[in-house]
Amino acid sequence: MNIQHITIFVILLLLTTACEINQKEIKPEDGFVKIYNHPDEELALFPESVVELSQGGFIFISAVKDENADIEYPYTSLVRTSSSGEVMWTMEYDWLAPTSKLILSNGSVGFVAMNQQFEAFAVMIDPDNGLETAQHALEMTMPLYSYTDEQGKLVVLGYDFVTRSSWISRYSSSFQLERSTMLPVNTDLEYLVQRHLNKTGQDYPFFIGSYSNSSGTGYYVNCFYNYTLRTVFLDGSSLSATGDIYSFQIEEGISSLIQKSGNLFGITSYYEGNNYLMSGAEIDVLSSGNIKDLSAEPLYELTYKAAVMAGPLNTSVENYALFVSQTNDNSVVIYQYALESDSLIKTHTREFDQRVEVRDFIQTEDHGVAILAGIYILGKYQRPMLIKLPETPFVPEED
Amino acid sequence: MRNKKIILFILLGFLTNESIRAQGSDFLNHLRIGFGGGANVAHIIDLESYNIFEDLSGTSYENAYSKLFQNIGNQYFVQLEWFNDFIILAMKPGTYTYRFSKFNEIVFSNETVEQETPYLLRYISVPLEARYQFDLLRFRPYAGVSAAYSNLLGSNDAANQTFIRPKFTAGAVAGTYIDLRYVILDLNVAYNAGLHNITNKTGRFETGSGATFAQNDIRLSDLQINLSILFSLQKQKHYSNVECFY
Repeated sequence: MNIQHITIFVILLLLTTACEINQKEIKPEDGFVKIYNHPDEELALFPESVVELSQGGFIFISAVKDENADIEYPYTSLVRTSSSGEVMWTMEYDWLAPTSKLILSNGSVGFVAMNQQFEAFAVMIDPDNGLETAQHALEMTMPLYSYTDEQGKLVVLGYDFVTRSSWISRYSSSFQLERSTMLPVNTDLEYLVQRHLNKTGQDYPFFIGSYSNSSGTGYYVNCFYNYTLRTVFLDGSSLSATGDIYSFQIEEGISSLIQKSGNLFGITSYYEGNNYLMSGAEIDVLSSGNIKDLSAEPLYELTYKAAVMAGPLNTSVENYALFVSQTNDNSVVIYQYALESDSLIKTHTREFDQRVEVRDFIQTEDHGVAILAGIYILGKYQRPMLIKLPETPFVPEED
Repeated sequence: MRNKKIILFILLGFLTNESIRAQGSDFLNHLRIGFGGGANVAHIIDLESYNIFEDLSGTSYENAYSKLFQNIGNQYFVQLEWFNDFIILAMKPGTYTYRFSKFNEIVFSNETVEQETPYLLRYISVPLEARYQFDLLRFRPYAGVSAAYSNLLGSNDAANQTFIRPKFTAGAVAGTYIDLRYVILDLNVAYNAGLHNITNKTGRFETGSGATFAQNDIRLSDLQINLSILFSLQKQKHYSNVECFY
C-alpha cells in the first residue's frame, strides 16, 4: 500500500462518516417518547385513546382517579400536544369514566363519558383550546366503549343495569340515535362493570370494530353476552347478532380482533393464565364458535390478561396488521403481521425501566405509528406516555 | 461544516506531501517516535434540549449535563512526529475516553427526583497536529493547531446507541519539549472543539433499561493535558548534559 492508496482510503472514510454526521433530514416529530407527569402524587392517570389532528399534533384522553375525591369514578382529562409531543394545553372535565375511542368529526374532537347518574353523553370540544362546544345525550347508561365507523357514525357499547344487558347503539354523525340493540347477559354484572369503570377492578377488553365480507357488513363488539365475555358479530343495518366467538364465562376472553381480509381475522385472547394469538383465523360471522376451537400461538411474554390493541398499518410499501401490547419485562411489543396471511414479519420492542400498559395505537399521517400507554413513574405514579415511531422500522429493508 | 472539511483535507494533503518529500531525503533523521497519555475533561455543549418528561401543570424540569471539571477522562496514544527546524507534524493515534453525566429532574408535590445517568464514551482517535516551535535549547516551547477523526467503540451500555460513531474535532495546542538528551519529553495542553452534533437523532430515546430519558443534541469538546516520551532517531545536539559541564 503506497501513500496514494492511503490518501484515497482516508478520503473515502471521510465521505462515509460525513453521511452519518449529516442528520438534518431527521425531524423531532419523526419519532419520540414522551411521559406526561402530573406533580400531584394522589392522582392516577389512566390513558384511554389518542387521535392525530389534521393540523398536526395529537390529543389524548385520560381517566383521572383522585384518591381524595368524593366521587369514586375517574374524571376526564384531555391533553393537546404538538407533533413532537410537547404539551400545548391540558383541560379537565367533570364528565366521568371516559371511554375509548376519541371521536374525530369535521375538525372537532369528542369523547363519550357519563354523568353521576351513569347517563352516557357525547361531548365535543374545540381542539384549539379544549373548551366544550356541545354535549349530546346518548340515551344509554354506563358507556364502556365508543367507536366511529368509516361513515362517521358513532357506535357505543354500554351496560343496562336494569335489564342486565349489554347495550349497543348507533348514532348519526349529528348524534341522533339510529338503532339500538340489547344483548342479555342473564346475570347481574353491575358490580364488575362499576369496578371496571372506576378503575378498581379488572379492566375488561371491551372493543368495537367493523367488518365487511361476502356475508355482509357489520360490527364486531366484545361485550358481556349470555353469561360470558364474547365477541358478537352484529348486522350492519339491524344491529341484530348474527354470530359470535365465546369463551369460558368472563374469566377468559378475546382481547383484540382485526379483520384482515374476507373471513380471515387476527385475534388475541387470554385463558388459563396465558395470552394467545391467532394471526390468521377463519371466522364465520354468521355462526357461533368456541375460541378454543381455533389454533393459537401462545404469547408467554405478555403480562397477565394483557390488553392488546390490534389494527392495520398501511405503509407506503405494503399493508400490515399490528398487535401492540406489553411484556413481563416492561417492554412495549409490536407484532407486525402480513395482512393477507398469518406470516409474522417482525417483532418490535421498546424496553422501559418501569411497568407499562398499552392502551391505544393509531397510524399517523406519515405512515408511522403513535402508541398511547400508561407507565408507572418511579414504579408508583401512573402517568400517560406517548410513543411515536416512524415508518422506517415497519417497511422491509432494501437489498 | 464544509469549510472545516476543506481545512482537514488541506492538513492531510500537507502531511502527505511532506511525507513524500521526506521519503526521498533523510526521513529517519527527522522522525521521533514515542508514547504518551494524559487526562481530559469533557465539555458538553447543549445544542438542543429534548426532555422525555412533559409536565401537565406547566412546570419545567431540569435537563442538563454535568459541568466541565466533573467530567474527568483519560487518553493513551502512540506519538509519531516529523520535524524540521521550526515545524513539527505530530500524529497521536490512541484511545480517548470521555466521561460525563446527564441529569434529569422529575417534580412532584412532595418530592423532586433527580436521575443521574453516567456515560463513558471510548473513542479510537487519530489526531494530527501542526506545531511551530521556538528553539530555547533544552526547552522548546511550541504552539499549534490540531484536527482529529474519532470513532466511537462499541459498548454493552445500551445508551451508547444514542450517539453516532464518528466524531471530528479541531483545536489548539500549546506546550513544550524538554530535551533530556536520550529522550524528549512533550508536555502540552490542548482544547479540542467538537465540530458537530454527536447524538444519533433516530436513537436519542434508545437509552435502554434503567434510563428513561432523551439524549439532547450535544457537541463533545474537551480540554486535555498530555505528557509524552519521544525517542529521536537524530544524532543528539550539542547542548546535552554532558557537553554543558564540559
